[in-house]
Parts: sequence; C-alpha cells; structure tokens
Amino acid sequence: MIERFIQIVKTDAPGAEEASATRERLKGGFPPGAARRMTQLGMLIGSVLGAMEPTAADAVVYLSEFGESRALESFLESFPGASPTLFQTSIHPSGVQQGLIGRQRSVPELFPFAGAGGIVGQALLAALLSPAQRVLFCGGEERGSRLRELGVASERTFAFALALTREAAPGVAGRLVLSPDDNVVSKLSLSEWFGILDQRRDYRGPLVDGFSLQLTWGPT
Amino acid sequence: MADPLTFRLKNIIVETLHLEGIKPEDIKDDEPLMGSGLALDSIDALELVVKLEKEFGIKIGSSEESRQALSSVTGLAAFIRQRADQSRLPS
Amino acid sequence: MPFLADQVPVRVVDCGCVTPLGDAAKTCAALLRGERALQRIPVAGGEGGDRVPMAMLPGRALDETSPPAWGAVVKKLFAPVSGPAWGTARRPIFITSSNFGVGSLYAYRKTGDAGHLTYGTPFACADWLRREQGWGDNFSIFSHACVSSHLGLVQAARMVAAGLAEQALVVAFDFISPFVAGGFHALKILNADFPSPYMNRATGSIGLGDGAAYAVLAREGGDFKILGQSLHNEMYHFTANQPDGAGFDACLAPLAEKAKSQGLRLWLKGHGTGTLEAGRLESTRLAEAFPGAPLVGWKGSLGHTLGSCGLVELALAIAAFRAGRTPGTVGSATPTFAPAVALEPFSNREFDAVLCSSNAFGGAHAGLLLAHD
Repeated sequence: MIERFIQIVKTDAPGAEEASATRERLKGGFPPGAARRMTQLGMLIGSVLGAMEPTAADAVVYLSEFGESRALESFLESFPGASPTLFQTSIHPSGVQQGLIGRQRSVPELFPFAGAGGIVGQALLAALLSPAQRVLFCGGEERGSRLRELGVASERTFAFALALTREAAPGVAGRLVLSPDDNVVSKLSLSEWFGILDQRRDYRGPLVDGFSLQLTWGPT
Repeated sequence: MADPLTFRLKNIIVETLHLEGIKPEDIKDDEPLMGSGLALDSIDALELVVKLEKEFGIKIGSSEESRQALSSVTGLAAFIRQRADQSRLPS
Repeated sequence: MPFLADQVPVRVVDCGCVTPLGDAAKTCAALLRGERALQRIPVAGGEGGDRVPMAMLPGRALDETSPPAWGAVVKKLFAPVSGPAWGTARRPIFITSSNFGVGSLYAYRKTGDAGHLTYGTPFACADWLRREQGWGDNFSIFSHACVSSHLGLVQAARMVAAGLAEQALVVAFDFISPFVAGGFHALKILNADFPSPYMNRATGSIGLGDGAAYAVLAREGGDFKILGQSLHNEMYHFTANQPDGAGFDACLAPLAEKAKSQGLRLWLKGHGTGTLEAGRLESTRLAEAFPGAPLVGWKGSLGHTLGSCGLVELALAIAAFRAGRTPGTVGSATPTFAPAVALEPFSNREFDAVLCSSNAFGGAHAGLLLAHD
C-alpha cells in the first residue's frame, strides 16, 4: 500500500472557451511576454501548476492523452514552409514546459505521459515512486479542431494539478492510497479522473492493472 | 521618410511574432533584435527566417547564419539587399 | 534527482536494437570500422527539397505507408519479448518515443488516406504495436523528446526495485518522416552538412536516423547492472541550455559521485548531435565531472534517433563491451571541444562501466551508469 496526501488541488474546465479568451483570462499569471507563444493547453497547465507554487525540489508528473493537438494541426498546415515555433510547440510535453520555462522554474524530474488506457494509474505510480518529497501531478487536454473531427484529438478542454506529499501538513485537502490488487484489470480514464478532482468526489475502485485506488477528500 | 525595406521588416517582426503592445515604429533600426527590449529569442529568429525566406526569396543555411543576419533591423536590411532579387524588395 | 541502486540492484537481462546498419552487434562492428549510415536525402521525401543527412532502415522511404513500413522491422526486433506474458500487472511495458505516429499524420495530410490515422496518435500507434506483438494492455507511454527512453528505463527500474514488477520491458522507437525532418530543417540545424559531434567548427549540423530498441530489467540475470540513473530539467529555454552548463552538472553530479565512490574506470557515451553550443557545453561538463574518461558519440554515423536514442545507444554500448572495443566518434575530427573526445576506437576491456547520457529540448538531461560484471 502506498499513501500520499493531497495538499493542494486546482482544476480548470473552461468548456467551449476559445484559446484567445483563455489567454486573456490567464496571461496575467505569467511574466510579461511569456504568453504570446503559449497555447491554450500550455496556459491552462501553467496556470493550475502555478497554483502549486513549484519549487526547485519538486518532481512533476504530467499527463495528456493528445497533448498539443492545435499546434500539431497548425504545424502540419504550415508546410512546405514549416514553422519552427509550431514544431517546437507541438512536441510533447510542451504543454507543461511552456509555463515552467516562462517562469524559469527548473525541475529535477519530469515524467510526461501520453496516450489513453492506463495513463492515470501509470502516472500515479510514477508520482508515488519518485523520491521527491513533493510531486506535482498535473495534466489536461485542449479541444482539437480538425483533428478532433477525425477522432485524433480531444473533445474537451480541461486541466488539473495536485501537490502530493508523503506527510500531511495543515490544510491537507485529501488522501490517496494505491493498493496492489491482482483482481484489477480495468483502468481509470483521464476523463473520469478529472471528474473526481473537479467535483471533489471520493473514489474507491480500480486504478490500473494490479492496483486499486482509494481517494478521500477532507482533512485526515 | 522611413526606408521601405526597413519599414516592411518592422511590420514583419510585429506580425510574425505576435508582439502585443508593440508597434513597428517602436522598433529602433540599430537596436539588437535578440536579447534586447523586444525579448526575442532564437525560436523567434528562426520564425522570422521562414517568413523572410518566403517573402524575399533568400536562403539562410544554418542557425549560425540566422544569428548573423538578425543582428538588428539595419543589419537584416543589408543582409536582404545583398541576397535578394531586387524585384522582390519593396519600393 | 538521482535513482541510485544502492539497496536493490536492477539488472539489464536482455537488450537489443536495430539501426540502418543492422542489429546491435552489426551496428557496433560498422561503427568500429568508421562507417556512416547517413546519406543526403531530400528533406520532404517524395516532394523533394533540400538534401539533408538522414539514415533510414533499408528499403524504407521517408514518406509513411499504411500500415507503417517500420512495423515489420520492429516486429522482428521485439520477437524475443513477444507474447502475452508481457503487458501484465507484474510484467509491465514502457513504450517510449518522441514521434510515435506523426509520420502517419503527415501522410494523411498529404494523401487524405484515412488509413494513416489508425497509427496517428501516441496511443493508437502504441496500441497497434501492442497488438502486433501479442502483448497484454498494461503499458505506459512516455514521450519526452530525446530523453523518452531514459524515462522509461528510470520508471521500469523503480517498479522492479520496489517489487511492483517481476520484470519490466522498455521499448523505444523513432522513425523519421517529413514531419520531423521539416521541423528540424526549420530550426536550421538539419542542413546540408553531415554532423561532426563535439567538433569545434564554424557551423553545426545534425543528422536524423531511424532507430528502435528494447531492454528487459529485473533484479537478477544478465551480465550488466544499472548502478544509477539521474535526471534534470533546466526549463531555461526550449532549444538552448543554461550558458554556464549548470543543467548538465545537476544531472551528472550524483552519477560522478557514485562512480568515484566505487573507484570505477568508465568511458562515456554522450549525446553529441553535432550542434555547436550544446556540444561544447556537454563535452566540457562531462570532462569536468569525469576527468580522464574518454567520450564518444555515434550520431555522426547513425544520425539522431530522437526519443529512442538513449536505449538504442545503450544497446550499442552493451554490444561494445561484448566486442571488447568501443567505437570512436565517427564523423568528427580535431579540433574538438574537449581533449577527452575519442575519435578512434579503443579497447574497453579494462573499463568497469559506461555512463550513457542524453539531452533534450527544454534542457532535459538524463544519465545512466551501467556496469559490466
């Protein structure tokens, strides 16, 4: 059994908000000039992660099934004069790097996960096995446009970040426990995970092959 | 009266790099483009190169050559005048 | 932040790779002969463009097919680790790449053939691979540019060391396409010149190469042991390192301390893509952290195999130990940025270990210290 405490949690689910509106809403949280190259996903992740007040000792685990699908679309469209900015931005894990580079915040460990399936469970395992005293667990998606219509980008836009610690400090928001369970073969999806965080729902059930998860909100 | 090429380059810089709150006339001719008040970096430089290659039909071969070309607006204008077909320069 | 195997050693039980020069042993032999896999190829594949140095698997074209042509090559490489015993709760798989199926997305854009979309996203590509290999569906997908495979190795080692996995399989693959070639060409570092890693010259350049590899990690077995792994992320700039090399130092320091405490005699397999400033920083910081250790890099021959480079080159380092000789830095010549750069092959029989390091966009750094029994 591996236990961690959720010290801080932040979510953002802007619905159908366009990227330009997200930039206007969030750009004040970044150094001047940093926002001009940031994507919607980058601004959302940077904003929720900023609420964790990252330090140089924190590890970061980042998960996104589709990553920077808008930048990917735009990069494909830029050929034959391929855009170096869009190339750079489309490469995973740009979504989390944009904000950290904007704030010049070094990170000793960054584990970026992609894809569907067991992404939440595998990423939580990485977070819990990190030797860092505090792990910032963050992720999200941005709604795609043409790639979404083809089924290769996200339908939704959302972002989340948690600060996970080994000990509970005053103000702790919740507790999560991973337990080995050979009976578990199903996987908690990223969308379901976001719902649990956004709605502050307790959860007890399958996480990923071989592990179950118990998440309870409130002071311990 | 501003030199047409210099004027066009300043517009390209603002438009291509989405510089909010900066007008073309705010950019000084001889101010270093990188690491100055504009806070442009190497990726901005390369983005400009793509645009300049397309507009003026010039070719920049390496990242080192990019840095040399983009020393300042004045330096860039001289670089383009040297490399471009004159018919592609603004009159 | 280091992962040092002081309490629970993790061993490399099996490891292999494929490059345009062949499997690990054949590639190592070719590197020892100083052969270069890179050739000048049009950057846009069938649509032409500037000719830039790239190395692709024999018979594979830059433009992607549906299904991807590299599938058959990877299936053969992964044959020793195929089947349903992998991808279970106790034998997880870590699939790593920086490209996955972007070549297929590009091909879809060019041709409109929706068949390409089947392989287009990281999950779709990885799941196709999983089904081709007959694996179970307990797999993770890591994608972090050129340190992708190192991250898979770190997490796999942690799962094994923690007793959460009996064995762990790490796979890595990256196959070049007009998407990635166009991107690096736009960055002006994939240009007409062949790469010369760590060479002090007027302009820098890289090459790109196809590559795939796998490794099985466990607590017992094999004749190679992971003594430590280390990671660091500068977050200074997407494409530039901190000018004082502090990012390199942060990653290398714990491994240097480990090597020193055990009195290891080691050689260094560096990242060395052929760019100038990064090559200068990397080679000088490695020389500072590991005085006297010879440094080699093989991307001057194979090109940069992107996310897979860490594991491809680890497999080649293992092959070099088995061959008793380490290939030199093919494609480079004096003057080099650091005297430690070994241009010619050398005997490694008196060496205990190798440090394999890779670096990536965003100032990401990864290192793995591997000892030969």
